[in-house]
Amino acid sequence: MIQDKAQWLEEASKKIKVPKELIEKAFKDELDGNPSLDAPLEIPDIMDITYKYTYGGISRFFREIRDNKQLYGTKCTQCGKVWLPPRINCNECYTPTQWVKLGGTAEIATYTIVYYGTSVFFGKTPYVCAFVKVAGADTLIMQNVFMEDVKKARVGMKLTIQFKEHRNGDMGDFWFVPAQEEL
Amino acid sequence: MNKVGIVGVGTTSFKARWLEKTYYELAYDAAKLALEDAGIDKKEVGGVVYGIYNEFFERQFMPDVYIHNYIGMGLKPSVRVATGGATGGAAVFVGWTWIASGLYDIVMVLGVEKATDNYNYTVGHSTPETLKAILFSGDMTFENPMGLTAAASYALPLIAHINKYGTPTEKQMAMVSVKNHKNAMNNPIAQSPKLLTVDDVLNSKMITYPFKFYDNCLYSEGASAIILASEKVAKALSDNPAWITGVGLSLDKAFAGERDDITIFTSSLYAGRDAYKMSGIKNPRKELDFAELHDAFTGAEILSYEAFNFCKPGDGGKLIEDGVVEMTGDLPVSPSGGLIGCGHAVGATGVMQTGEAALQVQGRAEKRQVKNARVGLVQSIGGPATAWTAAMIVERQDKIKGKGVKGARVKAKVKSARRKR
Ligand SMILES: [Zn+2]
Repeated sequence: MIQDKAQWLEEASKKIKVPKELIEKAFKDELDGNPSLDAPLEIPDIMDITYKYTYGGISRFFREIRDNKQLYGTKCTQCGKVWLPPRINCNECYTPTQWVKLGGTAEIATYTIVYYGTSVFFGKTPYVCAFVKVAGADTLIMQNVFMEDVKKARVGMKLTIQFKEHRNGDMGDFWFVPAQEEL
Repeated sequence: MNKVGIVGVGTTSFKARWLEKTYYELAYDAAKLALEDAGIDKKEVGGVVYGIYNEFFERQFMPDVYIHNYIGMGLKPSVRVATGGATGGAAVFVGWTWIASGLYDIVMVLGVEKATDNYNYTVGHSTPETLKAILFSGDMTFENPMGLTAAASYALPLIAHINKYGTPTEKQMAMVSVKNHKNAMNNPIAQSPKLLTVDDVLNSKMITYPFKFYDNCLYSEGASAIILASEKVAKALSDNPAWITGVGLSLDKAFAGERDDITIFTSSLYAGRDAYKMSGIKNPRKELDFAELHDAFTGAEILSYEAFNFCKPGDGGKLIEDGVVEMTGDLPVSPSGGLIGCGHAVGATGVMQTGEAALQVQGRAEKRQVKNARVGLVQSIGGPATAWTAAMIVERQDKIKGKGVKGARVKAKVKSARRKR
């Protein structure tokens, strides 16, 4: 049996960054019951790691979004294919690409509606996750499409880009909404 | 290339939670079952290929090294395969190459997965953390932040397919769920044996459009092992081994937005073509006696009928409507119950399915036996938007002629090894 329950909870909470009450609830049997020595013993645990991640060659893509509210793709200098997500080289021609400015109009190529997401998306369901064809790009990019009634989402729906007010330099800085003509 | 036989099969129960076992304890159980089934000692194994998908599930990076130690294989060759949901199938593929190349005579392929040690304290359940662990497999810059879940990953090509062909309908998908839950009732290791109606499925809670609760497979924990052997050893060990006569492996563009056609499972099409070609199958609809497909979601099974050329693109839904893929039909799909009925213990799943196919062609599948099963297809899908497929053809070859001098010698060798035990 756990000798000092308060101490155990204190340390567990610090270790896995979860409030004591929730840990107490999850470990009720171990804390209050009288499990045998051979009963399976569970422990609170966590795996986490922090980063200072570099975007490398596509850094400008996120700077343009964050600082200028501007979407960019990259164009292959040989075959002319416009990549979005951008990449600094073409995997077909093995040649470098150059940055091209893209507009804010797009269309749903395919989509789904997520009603049950991960813990990161608590409070955000249901949401539309789509492959979107941005005008001027030759590939599709995955993005969220926000609308009041998610059931209205359909393949071919016309979209407009929207930028977040306070932008961080990641894909969460922008999303799409149905274009005026869809409303 | 040398012929590759399957001479031993061992699978633990697939369960929502194995509270009483760790991943290496589960791996040990499957290894022991498979060795016993093959009638060999662990000393006779030339090397082990491990199929384990997710580090965050196991709470361990490089879990294979600890399993290799735990099951007493120290110093033998070993490699781990991790190809998302296709991990088990791809592990079989790699094990196959070890035998086909002539490098080893006996190889163990061992798949294992925990999934529900993950725990979300806010909701008091594993699922949101398990989903989160999977989501680290989506591109961290461009896909993970968009909330791409495993179900969404399948729904994106499926909705594109429905938009183009009008099928599969939600009812056709529900029929797949009913079938696989029902098939699982004949499988003693299955997690979700259930008699459901089409309405039960249609009325269940929406998870990821168009998948309702019963359209989804569940997270499972479990382990599965098979023993592969070269022709001479397989014939020495068994009068009736199963043979892997064709394999295929394909990885489509993981950034699915770059694909030429997102309406079909192209990696399954390619892996299937290669496997069919190797085993000389020209008309799979006629020549296959059964298939164990990767029904992570009902719609995926139907799109797989099409990718594997059981029918034309768009016609997959008809196969379930016409009963073709039922146990009573002429091409039963997933007699084990598949991922929906038996369960999806990711790294173990493709190994379990290959083992099931071996049991079928050997006539050892008990209550789920397909009559006169001679040739079967196994499919293992993984990665973003079904990027990965491993496909295997497993078959029986009746009346193996004279074992020859070489074979007899191997038999003597295997017997002496057994005596030493
Ligand atoms: Zn190019």
